[in-house]
Parts: sequence; structure tokens; C-alpha cells
Amino acid sequence: MVWMLASIGQVFLNFLATTGRLILFLIYTLTQAVQPPYYFRQILRQFWEIGYLSLPVIGLTAFFTGMVLALQSYTGFSRFNAESAIASVVVLTMTRELGPVLAGLMISGRIGAAMAAEIGTMRVTEQLDALTTLSTNPQKYLIAPRLIAGITMLPLLVLIADAIGVFGGYIVSVYRLGFNPASYMKQTFDFVEMGDVTSGLIKAACFGFIISLMGCYYGFNSKGGAQGVGKATTYAVVSSSILILITNYFLTSLLF
Amino acid sequence: MTPKFVIKNLHKSFGNKHVLRGVNLEIAAGESLVIIGGSGTGKSVLLKCLLGLIQPDSGSIQMDGKEITKETHAENEARLQDIGVVFQGSALFDSLKVWENVAFRLIHAQHMNRKQAKQIALQKLAAVGLNESVAELSPAEISGGMQRRVALARAIATQPHVLFFDEPTSGLDPIFSSVIDGLIHRCVKDLGATAITITHDMNSARHVGDRIALLCDGAIVWCGPADTIDDSTNPYVQQFIHGLPSGPIQLETETRHVA
Repeated sequence: MVWMLASIGQVFLNFLATTGRLILFLIYTLTQAVQPPYYFRQILRQFWEIGYLSLPVIGLTAFFTGMVLALQSYTGFSRFNAESAIASVVVLTMTRELGPVLAGLMISGRIGAAMAAEIGTMRVTEQLDALTTLSTNPQKYLIAPRLIAGITMLPLLVLIADAIGVFGGYIVSVYRLGFNPASYMKQTFDFVEMGDVTSGLIKAACFGFIISLMGCYYGFNSKGGAQGVGKATTYAVVSSSILILITNYFLTSLLF
Repeated sequence: MTPKFVIKNLHKSFGNKHVLRGVNLEIAAGESLVIIGGSGTGKSVLLKCLLGLIQPDSGSIQMDGKEITKETHAENEARLQDIGVVFQGSALFDSLKVWENVAFRLIHAQHMNRKQAKQIALQKLAAVGLNESVAELSPAEISGGMQRRVALARAIATQPHVLFFDEPTSGLDPIFSSVIDGLIHRCVKDLGATAITITHDMNSARHVGDRIALLCDGAIVWCGPADTIDDSTNPYVQQFIHGLPSGPIQLETETRHVA
């Protein structure tokens, strides 16, 4: 019994210690981020990596999700003659929920893992030490640009994902389920409000922050060679995915 | 004249492992000191303490008469401006081209424009025997020996007055090792820099060092001019330079019969 309580207590203490280290890491990075010099080239590179290079993954995910959503909605709604609601269901679900969450989870796998692996490899190959000896603060040079790019690029990606998802729903509804194209589009735009889109974008910015922070934190603190980098990558993806799902609930409650 | 570095009773532990156990050492300005010792004796930890990358548990390190163990981030950053480092695995930045690696400090710390920094980088690459065609490659596209030369060019790019070399010839064949040793010796003398080299390669130590210090069990057990090490009767030195399995240096290994 004592052994079990000690184990639970140890897990809890480890959790508190990690949370404390994460907060200190974030505060130090933010204080560095606002002080010159600013590494614009690094920020642009991260815009490219996180934003542009993630477009195919996000586009495909959103397109097929929109198509499946239309099909599944039809299956349910046709049972009580409410097929006309499909357009509104697709657009509201994509903008408010599935766009930001699916984009967040996909980017967590693609970018969070890449950040942890890249920075982790830099740690174990002494490249971070080299940066310090070259009079460059690693948190300012490596972490701050990734945080900025994560927070700004995710909303843009989600905006594109929303449009592609709605388009996927349109394709299935019109060409498979026989909806009238004009009335489908009209219903889509009639039902969606600016608040639906902005709530999704606020979520996306938060998810982008979580993904970048966890990827950078675990990469920056990795140790022990290839195995350590592998662990850092796993922790980054798992923790950011879980945090996205938890944060999503609280943000939805706030923005409901 | 104030020594460049004065290390007094330096201790550092990681958990239960007591790596440095009272290191005492003085390094004169313009001197090339080589610290030799077996694997895991704390050579790299000592180097990182001197750089400020690791905080020692106790003891004192003075550089130019100023205590550096309690310096702030900003003071450390300013001090490192005049120090060049070649890391064990070169530690070149994979995402940058070779010339960008060499010019890194010029561009990011000294805010020189990229065109001018590239010219200096090409000069430094030429100084270590690499031509312009290498400059546009990424570090992954060149051999280990060339990477070590690029790391050396990066270390000397801003003409620092202090140079640190962490096992600069590890993993290189004897010919490349000699080339790197020659380049280190020439760069140190040309710059008139104070150099501290960490190695367990005796050829390298004899070639680049004015003085050699032997680190064993976290403390300096012998220190003297490089040309006298072979005449030393110190049992630690004798065991180390002749690579004898038995002697005062205890190896943390246990051998068993294969069959």
C-alpha cells in the first residue's frame, strides 16, 4: 500500500517538476523573443516549413474529412428527411471543430515530431553548445521563431482546411448524393457566421503554440543519443496531441 | 603577468558520479596547453566548465583575473565573443551551407552583411585548405576530415584570442589527424592565441602542445612541458603514454573470456 502511494506521489511530483521546467523554459524563451536581435530569416524558414510544406497533408485530411462528413450526415439525416441540413452541418463542423482539431493533430505528427527530432539531434551532437559558443542564444535563434511560426501558421492552415473540407462535402453532396450545386452553396453561406470561423482560428493559434512548445521543449532537453532523440519525439507528439484534445474542450466551453 | 586561466580546486558531480575532484591548473596567455586523459576522466566536462556551458559545484575559474563561475548569461555571451571552439564531432549546423557555418558568428553576433561575411568565410576556408567549391555544399556532403577543417575555420573566423579544441582528431585517420594537428598549430601561432586542447591522442598532444597536463580520476596528476613527457617517471604518465593495461590508472572495465 505504501509502495503504491509512493509511486503515485512520485508520478505527481515528476509531473509538477516537468510543468515547472516547461513554464520556466517558456518564460525565458518569450523574454528572449522580444529582445533584439530578431532572426527574420529563421522565422521565414519556419513559416515555409510549418505553413507551406504542411499544405498537402492538411489539404488531403480536410478534403476527405469533408467528404466523409457529407456521407455520414446524409446517412443519419435521411432517416428523418433532414437532408437539407447537410451543407450547414459540414460547414459548421469543419470550421468550429474538425478543421482546427484535425489540422492540430496532423501538424503535431508532422511538425511537432520534426521539431523535437531536429533540436534533439542538435542537442546530442553539441550543435546547441556550438550555438552558445558562437555568441548566439539557442532559445532566441531556434525556439522563438518556431513558436512565432506555429502560432501564426496554424490559423492560416486551418482557414485553408475549412475551405477544402467544405469543398469535399460539396463534391460528395453534388456528384454522389445529387444535391443542387447552387442551393448547397447558398445553404453553406447562409448558415456559417464569422464567429464560427474565428472560434476555429483561435483554437488553431492555441494548438500551434502547444505543438511548437512541446516539440521544442522535448527536443531541447533530450539526452542520451539516438534513443534520447526518439523518446523526445514520442513525448512531443503524445503530449501535444493530448494537450490539443484537452485544450479543445476548454476552448469550446469558452467559445460555445 | 596575470595567467589567462587559473583553475582552483574545481569540483563537479553528476548524481553519484564525481567527475572533477579538485582540478588545479594555470594557463599562461599565448600558451598551448593539452589536457590528456582516458575516456570518461572529465576532460570534456572541464572544457565545458571553462566555457560556462556547465556550472561547477565548487571551486574557482578565473579568466584574465576575473571569476567566471558566477557570471550572468550576458557576461558569458560577451566573454564567448573572444573564444573559438572546435567540438569533438565538429558540431556543424546541418541546415546551413559550409560558408554560412564559417560565417555564422560574423553574421549573427557581429551583424556583418552576408556578402562581406562570405568573403571572410572563403578566406578562412582557404586557410584550412578548402576551396570555394566546398563553400556551397552542406556539411552532410563533405567527409569527416573536411568537416573538422570547416569547424576549425569557423572557430578562427573572428580571430579570437582563446581557442578550445575538444578531441579535434577523434575519428580521423592518422594522415588527416596530422593535417588537423598542423592546422591547429599554425592557427594558434598565427593568432597568438591561448589554446586548450583536450585529447587522448599522444601524437596530437606532442604536436600541438607547449605543455601537457594529465587528468586522471578528476584531478591533474602531472603537468609539464610537452617535450619532457616521454622522460617523465610519473607512473600515471608512463601507463598512459605507453597504453599499459596495468598501473595506477584504474579502468572501469571487466574482461571475460569470449568462450
